[in-house]
Amino acid sequence: MKGPLDYLARWPLWLWLAMVGAFLYLPLLALVVFSFNDSRRITVWRGFSLRWYAELFDDGELVAAFGNSLVIAAASTIISLILGTLAALLLWRFRFAGKAPLEALLGLPIVVPEICLGVAFLVFFTAIVPWPTELPWPLNLGAIIIAHATFSFSFVALVVRARLASFDGALAEAARDLGAGEWLIFRDIMVPHMVPGLVAGALLAFTLSLDDFVITFFTSGPDTITFPIKVYSMVRFSVTPAVNAASTLLILLTAGLTALALWLQGADIAKQAA
Amino acid sequence: MPDLSRRSFGGLAAALVLDGCSRAFPKGANGEEQRLNFYNWDTYIGETTLGDFSKATGVDVRMSHYANNDELFARLRAGNPGFDVIVPSNEFVTRLQISGMLSPLDHARIPNRANLAPEFVDVPYDPGRRWSMPYTWLALGIGYRKSRVEGVPDSWKWVLDSDRYSGRIGLLAEGDDLIRLGAKYLGHSVNAVTPAIMEQVTQMLIRQKRHVKLFHHDEGQDLLASGEIDLVVEYNGDIAQVMADDDDLAFVIPREGTLINSDCLCVPTGAPRPDNAHRFINYLLDAKVGAEIAKTIRFPTPNAAALALMPEEYRTNQVIFPTGPAMAKSGYGRFQGIGHIRAVEEAITRVMAA
Amino acid sequence: MMLQRPSQAPGVFAAVGLPPVVWLFALFLAPLAVIWAYSFGENRTLVDIAITGSWGNYARALKPLYLAILLKSMGFAALTTLLCFILGLPVALAITFAGRRAKLLLLVAIMLPFWTNLLIRTYALMAILRTEGLINAGLGALWGLVPGLPPFEPLPLINNNFAVVVGLVYVHLPFMVLPLYAALDRLDRSLIEASLDLGAGHLATLWRVVVPLALPGIVSGIIITFIPALGAYLTPDLLGGTNSQMIANVIERQFRSANDWPFGAALSFLLMYLTFAALLIQALISRREGAR
Repeated sequence: MKGPLDYLARWPLWLWLAMVGAFLYLPLLALVVFSFNDSRRITVWRGFSLRWYAELFDDGELVAAFGNSLVIAAASTIISLILGTLAALLLWRFRFAGKAPLEALLGLPIVVPEICLGVAFLVFFTAIVPWPTELPWPLNLGAIIIAHATFSFSFVALVVRARLASFDGALAEAARDLGAGEWLIFRDIMVPHMVPGLVAGALLAFTLSLDDFVITFFTSGPDTITFPIKVYSMVRFSVTPAVNAASTLLILLTAGLTALALWLQGADIAKQAA
Repeated sequence: MPDLSRRSFGGLAAALVLDGCSRAFPKGANGEEQRLNFYNWDTYIGETTLGDFSKATGVDVRMSHYANNDELFARLRAGNPGFDVIVPSNEFVTRLQISGMLSPLDHARIPNRANLAPEFVDVPYDPGRRWSMPYTWLALGIGYRKSRVEGVPDSWKWVLDSDRYSGRIGLLAEGDDLIRLGAKYLGHSVNAVTPAIMEQVTQMLIRQKRHVKLFHHDEGQDLLASGEIDLVVEYNGDIAQVMADDDDLAFVIPREGTLINSDCLCVPTGAPRPDNAHRFINYLLDAKVGAEIAKTIRFPTPNAAALALMPEEYRTNQVIFPTGPAMAKSGYGRFQGIGHIRAVEEAITRVMAA
Repeated sequence: MMLQRPSQAPGVFAAVGLPPVVWLFALFLAPLAVIWAYSFGENRTLVDIAITGSWGNYARALKPLYLAILLKSMGFAALTTLLCFILGLPVALAITFAGRRAKLLLLVAIMLPFWTNLLIRTYALMAILRTEGLINAGLGALWGLVPGLPPFEPLPLINNNFAVVVGLVYVHLPFMVLPLYAALDRLDRSLIEASLDLGAGHLATLWRVVVPLALPGIVSGIIITFIPALGAYLTPDLLGGTNSQMIANVIERQFRSANDWPFGAALSFLLMYLTFAALLIQALISRREGAR
């Protein structure tokens, strides 16, 4: 039934939507398609081939870079999950002097331009608190992990706090009246409620870390190369479908994680509505 | 990089785990761990050089790379993170040395230095070669596509001061070099760039910019080969590499003269394995090894003994070993102080913003 | 829920409060403070920096040369924001008024590119815009079909300001759509329907009813598009031409090739002050709207 506000059914808007969709997706589609190109060129199709994917797995540097990216993302996700959840709990439960400035401060990592954070960490980790050199892997990734955790825990705090807003304090009160200690209340009552927020926050932090370029650009070194950095040097110096293949894999990974997050959110919303 | 290309995914995972368990390298007769961290330019080594060195000495070489001298300097600025041998260009040998970031070389442990051509034994940027040994030398010039260019563009004018090839020119993004070449074109020495000359060059570049298609960071030869541009300011070795695949490409040293560089092997302060470092440098100066490297990277070698082993085609290649009056007017760039660096940076920013 | 005072549960307060606050101060504010201090310093030698308290770096950063770059960056960011708004508003409208299933699908579709790595998205655009990229290849093929025309001259779609703006819009469009959608979604539809019933056309309704009501959301979208666009580094670096440098590129150069950390620090902080100014404007507008 077409109402006056049923914009989607009107062809001008539908066309606009389709054009914007094409604008957003065609380049990515072309990227994926040409990753299977049986030729060194990235714009002239010669035939279907998986050789670029094979070449990726043979490129030890790229594989190592990908490994680094995964480790950094995992470690920084764990750290930002902990810090973000604690921050969310602090702001949710307590009222104290300096709360408003703290909230503003917590929002800073999100708004500060990446380049400023990147150079700040560069200077910090080289001149002020030099990260020890010649550390075994994965400790040598520590500087990057710290940098990533710092800018992503604000996001996690945001997400978890939004989730906490729907927590019914009466349950905790009841448990407290029955004699349960703080830790027990937290573990058995609050955490289960927070889980969707924690999962969303974790996925968010993981993707932010995996994707980051600018901040990692400034804090990484020749022996701590991450996947986006390696792809950047490939884009700069040797543009072949191998770059397309590497990109496709990364797209699949982040798309997969996003789909997972959204599915969990959707399931949660459905459960709430029920 | 020979080592890494052999690794499969699983093998790499295992290697990474082993690395993480701080697998100790056995100590050699010299009391140092049997390994070496080599910080070099990308693909600036022979195909089997590192592997051959390992086989000959038992020392495992791990090579990381940087894209330009500034990256090298920035990396070492706060302290040596564990590199044993580095390859700065001549001007940066000076910069590193005056900042106390280089260890003096022990000539007794580098007997192969006798292989060096006489003009490299004592150089203005490192008298007596106390701090460095030459690895390659290189000259900037104009690489061009013969079929798209009239005659031979043997003057800097065609890239710096003319609209004939508008929209098809690629310049070096390296500010310092660009300013120096501009000065050379205007008839001055590369090491006497006064503020007045800098201003002149800046104005010229600003005027020329609308004819320049892009500024490249050392991938100029690829852009020339792919047809993106028809003239490019690049190093002779880089152009020699792409000329091997494409007959339509050529290289010329402009008649006003040009900038000569030399990439040198140095041992940074705080190198964990200085003796291995010396052994490695000595190895690279060996005649056969030098010839192997030259065959792969196609840059001119300062190693006279290696040169003697190279095929005629390499020794007489006018691109790799340019000769002639233009070369007589060419020279090394010298470090001219922090103030000069800042002035160059500002000039380049002005050119880019115009 | 009743908010507690710290004294009511000191152990818990310390447990949840200390780690994030300490981290924030030690590993976020401290590095920024260091950069701030450096902005008042000078290069003594190639490697030593002396904090002299001089305003020289800021003075230099405000010279016409750098001011012009800053203004150009703001221009790029503003143009990008405007284009994102024009492109994004209809999209947000369509999503808002779509059926439930379509809504979810469209939201995911808009967000998916956002979750893709910035570098990859920019690279994908490069392949499309290059001289032998897909657009030129396609046009060339079509051109070739018509006999008697002169040889096809590829369009200069990359390595210039045009490409940078296209790239910035491409990357930041999802940033704009989401807050717009969130604001529109909260609107009282009956108001819109009333306006339409009273005879106003769709565009008039849009302009007179929807936009004023959704203003805080619109401003939100504008701000979170403008700020990242202003500080963009990768897009001008890969897609830009000889005169497309933005402030982030200049900052990067100071730290990597110019070896001038104090000056780079001053430029970074100038960018930050601009960011804070934009946020302040947003806060003021939303407070004014909230008071209404």
